[in-house]
Amino acid sequence: MKLKQLVAIALATIMPLSSAFAEFPEKSVSYVIPFGPGGESDITARHQQSFFKDKFGQDLVISYKPGGGGAVGWSQLNGIKGDGHTIMGINLPHIVIKPLQKDVGFKTDEITGVYMFHYTPDALVVNQDSPFQSLQDVIDYAKENPGKLTLSGSGKGTANHLAQIRFDGMAGIKTTYVAFKGTGKAVAALLGDQVKAEWGYTSVGAKHEGKVRLLAVAMEERHPKFPAVPTFKELGFDLVSGAYRGIAVPKSTPEDVRVKLSQMIGEINADPAFRQRMENDGMALLDVDYAGMDAFMEKMTAIYTQAAREAGVIK
Amino acid sequence: MFMAVLFILIATAALWDTTTMTDSDSYVFPRAIAFAMIGFSIALIVWNLLRPQPTPGTPNPDTPTRGASTARRIGLVAVMLTGTLLMPWLGFLLSGLLAFAALMVCSMYDTWTRSRTIIYSLSGIGIVIGFYTIFAKVLLVPLPTGLWFE
Amino acid sequence: MPGIEYLLEALTPLNIMLALGGVIAGTVIGSLPGLTATMAVAVLVPITFTMAPASALILMGAIYTGAIYGGAYAAILLNTPGTPSAIATTFDGFPMARRGDGDLAVTLACLASVSGGLVGSIFLLMLAPPLADVALAFGPVEYFWLAVFGLTLISALSENNLLKGLIGACFGLLLSCVGVAEISADIRFTFGSQTLLGGIETVSALIGLYCIPVLIDLVATPDKHLKVTHQARGFRFLEALAISWKYKLGLLRSSVIGTLVGILPGAGGSIAGLVAYSEARRVSKRSEHFGKGEPEGVLATESANNATVGGGFIPTLVLGIPGTPPDAVILGALLIQGLRTGPNLFTGEGSIVYTFIYGLFLATLLMLPVGLVIGRYAYKTIITVPKAMLVPTVAFMTLIGTYSIRNNISDVIVMITLGVVGWVLNRFGFSPSPIVLGLILGSIAEQGFVQAWTIGAAGEDLTGMFFGRPISLAIIAFILLSLFYPLIRKHWLGSKMGKVRAD
Repeated sequence: MKLKQLVAIALATIMPLSSAFAEFPEKSVSYVIPFGPGGESDITARHQQSFFKDKFGQDLVISYKPGGGGAVGWSQLNGIKGDGHTIMGINLPHIVIKPLQKDVGFKTDEITGVYMFHYTPDALVVNQDSPFQSLQDVIDYAKENPGKLTLSGSGKGTANHLAQIRFDGMAGIKTTYVAFKGTGKAVAALLGDQVKAEWGYTSVGAKHEGKVRLLAVAMEERHPKFPAVPTFKELGFDLVSGAYRGIAVPKSTPEDVRVKLSQMIGEINADPAFRQRMENDGMALLDVDYAGMDAFMEKMTAIYTQAAREAGVIK
Repeated sequence: MFMAVLFILIATAALWDTTTMTDSDSYVFPRAIAFAMIGFSIALIVWNLLRPQPTPGTPNPDTPTRGASTARRIGLVAVMLTGTLLMPWLGFLLSGLLAFAALMVCSMYDTWTRSRTIIYSLSGIGIVIGFYTIFAKVLLVPLPTGLWFE
Repeated sequence: MPGIEYLLEALTPLNIMLALGGVIAGTVIGSLPGLTATMAVAVLVPITFTMAPASALILMGAIYTGAIYGGAYAAILLNTPGTPSAIATTFDGFPMARRGDGDLAVTLACLASVSGGLVGSIFLLMLAPPLADVALAFGPVEYFWLAVFGLTLISALSENNLLKGLIGACFGLLLSCVGVAEISADIRFTFGSQTLLGGIETVSALIGLYCIPVLIDLVATPDKHLKVTHQARGFRFLEALAISWKYKLGLLRSSVIGTLVGILPGAGGSIAGLVAYSEARRVSKRSEHFGKGEPEGVLATESANNATVGGGFIPTLVLGIPGTPPDAVILGALLIQGLRTGPNLFTGEGSIVYTFIYGLFLATLLMLPVGLVIGRYAYKTIITVPKAMLVPTVAFMTLIGTYSIRNNISDVIVMITLGVVGWVLNRFGFSPSPIVLGLILGSIAEQGFVQAWTIGAAGEDLTGMFFGRPISLAIIAFILLSLFYPLIRKHWLGSKMGKVRAD
């Protein structure tokens, strides 16, 4: 009798396991943000969190693993169990640039991205009452006063900085980049007239509407929230960039789980309510799923590596 | 005296590391500090030579010295360190319980009567499990679960 | 009073419950070393999604304020700042506990926290929009000089030996450079170690340098942890009240300092406490007693750090720029709710903000009874628990608390290592406070310096940059005052005495 019972129990436990993937996710999914709470990565994650529960019936639990500008989190990514129930936020250009600088505990191709869901496009921001009315004003000023135009931004080697380098090269000007710790401080410096302009994001324009003006945005087309602001492309500069955010999983995650996660994030991304919220906050949406990830990363890596070399951030 | 020399060594190590930095902005501050540190340390050595103290290296008066057990002190640190390093392997709960028990032994000065042993052990287990529950379940902190239990 | 009509909104049963619950939860969380106010607020953010914005704000504000107060318990009773804002409370709080006045210290901390919180909230209510502009006027240069001012506190903290204090501060400054540099994207002082990549986290260093040495010495002897000279006689409330009244001007001054520091983005409770302590010590007639268990010290630090709660909300709500780390989380929660920050919050959308501010007043007042009761239990527990239980529990708390800061084992290892280092340094006469000072102020000083240099160099006006701005000059004046005032006073008093004798 005992043996039969044992066998029955054993079978009962094995069976559900084999059909586990059909019901993924079967418990709450842990979403690790490699930054501290309150930042932009946190906010976009929170937006996703509220849609996740409705669509997939499980909680999306957000936790933080800050340190090293994201490096601590990414270096520990592949040590996490890869059953699909833990995902981590990833950011470009960070995961491309950081490993090229020094040994940060991970390499760019060790990060298994499954989806890139949004980016905040770079934008040139000035105060509401700034004398600069258009991009051309800025360029003229910089040409007459090389090195004197001070622009704040969120740190060296970030999207802001790379945008400044690339634009300086395209426009043939020399400006001075003042690095601050995070977008918040960079905006504060702009608002306080500590600097003349800021290399920020469209989300800055949304958050501080009325106090700042965007002179140009680094997008393919104009941002729906700022129809009056031209793109760099329109003005003759091929600058389409920003800070990209996506989701990654540990390397050991099986293929079908990766595809499933990619679909799930894509579903959230397609939700009109979600899109509306993101756009209201000045973000732009992107849809690079698992299938298109490799090609995307290759393209971005090439762009960033070159810009970073010009910036002297990497050798 | 000895500490001053140690600090000079630390500052020198810091200076050596600054030579590996690429951006000039990176090393301005650390170098200035390291130089200051070396300066102050040398000044300290000079000061100590000029004004020899009656009891060299007078310890902080608050720190008890008579009858102090070095073995227990080392035990405390060793237990904490080992417990921490074992956490990824054994999981938080298990290594926490083991560390707690070991620490109890380190700090126990009264005799181990039967009632004491039972009460302390039960309270200890309760405390560890209590904190674990609060942190892992209420505050949702991802405490290590240990490789054995994966 | 502006928006008085919203006072009733703040007093709905739900909001009162949220305020009370928030204060209790916050106090308990803040008292556990390793759990910070930021963490406490972050955990509760998802719950706030389903609430009305004003109620959500009240809950988060109550937790925040309770946590900043709660940090005082561990600071006084275990020499460990429960939150970074309580660092300066250890200076006089722990010596007081050591000599048997722990219950008095806890009650003083409660009274001071309530006063500070009220002052901060009053500023928030009355003067938020104009004060927000002050925040913007603080540029990199001002932050640099502010950090230097903070560093002058070293001289106060290392009375035995100024040189040792300076070396300690340098050590702390170097520690602050470990990890990824903010200003240059370089990686410094990690010597290839993965553990150090994230840098030395402030709270883990605090716990390591302050608490671990205490534990190490606790295990060494069978002596009691804190002296108990009398029967626990209640809260010693009247005694504490009398002391607070005696130093009421000092309380006010420290609270104002705290509010102003809270307004500055990036400067939080820890710096407020340190600056207020420094000032209180400078003007006090009993300045030699500071650091040995002087009640005025506790009053100064606890009122300042709770004032940062109200002060920190000023730039957060008016400019959308967080004044302190918990404010960043709160701001995120508000943005998700769709709340747009700005001066019009105080005029147009008046209901939310004013309801919240009155709720904050409520929470601060509730802190008095809650704080006294919890404080009493905390004190009794620490004195009566036998050492064999106390040491493992506290040690265990430090392990789990430190881990929870960044969910990283490295922080725990760093904490223990710094603990041993701190204990050794203590033996040789190096106090941990200058090191902590350097660690906290290092990044502010460095970033301020490099940024100011960059801007100044771009404008080709370096001297003007560093020495030409009004606010900077005011801060520099304070620095000089802080350094030379004690000497001047001694001289002045000395010559006065001489004159009297000559007559």
